[in-house]
Amino acid sequence: MHRASIPLLLYALLVTAFPVVALLVARSKRPALTVLGAKLYPHESGIPPEDGAPGKYSVRFFIFATLFVIFEVQMMFLIPWAISFRGWVAAHMAVFALIWMVISLGILFVGYTWLRRHGHCSGPE
Amino acid sequence: MPDSVVFYIFAVIAVVTAALMVTRRNAWHGAVCLITTLLATAGIFLQLHAGFLFIVQIILYVSGIMVLFVFVIMCVNLNVAMQQMKFARQKWVALMVCVVLVAQLALIIWSLRKIPSQGLPVFVSVAPERVPPTTQEVAKSLFGPYLLSFEIVSVMLLVAMIGAVALTKKKM
Amino acid sequence: MLSIAHYFFLSFALFLIGVIGVVMRRNVIIVLMSIELILNAVNINLVAFSRLFGDAAGQVFALFIIADAAAEAVVGLAIMIAFFRHPDSLFADETDLLKW
Repeated sequence: MHRASIPLLLYALLVTAFPVVALLVARSKRPALTVLGAKLYPHESGIPPEDGAPGKYSVRFFIFATLFVIFEVQMMFLIPWAISFRGWVAAHMAVFALIWMVISLGILFVGYTWLRRHGHCSGPE
Repeated sequence: MPDSVVFYIFAVIAVVTAALMVTRRNAWHGAVCLITTLLATAGIFLQLHAGFLFIVQIILYVSGIMVLFVFVIMCVNLNVAMQQMKFARQKWVALMVCVVLVAQLALIIWSLRKIPSQGLPVFVSVAPERVPPTTQEVAKSLFGPYLLSFEIVSVMLLVAMIGAVALTKKKM
Repeated sequence: MLSIAHYFFLSFALFLIGVIGVVMRRNVIIVLMSIELILNAVNINLVAFSRLFGDAAGQVFALFIIADAAAEAVVGLAIMIAFFRHPDSLFADETDLLKW
């Protein structure tokens, strides 16, 4: 395991170093900030600027992320099933293996049909 | 030796960023700290030779659940929360609960001082001839004795999905 | 030389930090994130003991806990968003109305 982890650690180092180096190079290359204080804030005709600029963020993103996570969890159970399927075929258990995975996916498919019927599967109109 | 070094690196990162996460006033900072903690935990899983859990942790926890948290932090207006008290009114009770937990652990370790053949029980090392479980074994165990749990998990996912969508629908 | 104690104490430390976060913070998002931290601490413990005994059941249980944490985060965050639709109040010790 140690031999195989070395490229992984190198990759991790590279991934960590990349944004750090990018930010440091950017800081060294850009002109220094010459204004200070109130000049940094957006001009609003004399009214002190208040917070809360993001505004209304759509809940639809959250719903799609939810559906992604739920089906992703199911996929995480699908991966070891797929890895061991060949072993089950050799042990003549392929049909049983298929049946229980189809049951599990079918349960989620019921949820999927509910979502489709209630219009959550189509994008913004 | 490299085992210990890797473990200590990930362990220190995990504990430090966890402590940071709990003490941040800004929820964004807390989310970023938690992402770092989860990545360090994934590193610990890899160091324990649990390759499949390492992948699951990164794909599901970091890039699934934490993305959900980030979306919610963006949906919800947190400016009011940032100006209020950080800690709840029962903080001394909470600290006392933690002291009690630590005392319980110390008592357990103290009362199990010696197992006759092995010395102090908490310092048992991994026997070098024990092979760590591979993904194949995990799969066989998952779809063997724990098959019913797996089916129940998909029912739980169905419930969570429909519940979450029903809670956040437009017409309330 | 690494022993089971190292993983156990790491898991206990993370668990303790998570418990502090759940009980002591007012911001609901931080509370939910501390719950995730607690579940991760338990996962580390399970996988460490699974490695010690060579038994795959620990990793299987950890996988179930991760799936459960996903579902619970989904529902918890949906509840939070449902709160936000009404006047925003994010304080865990002020939400004591069941229906309004």
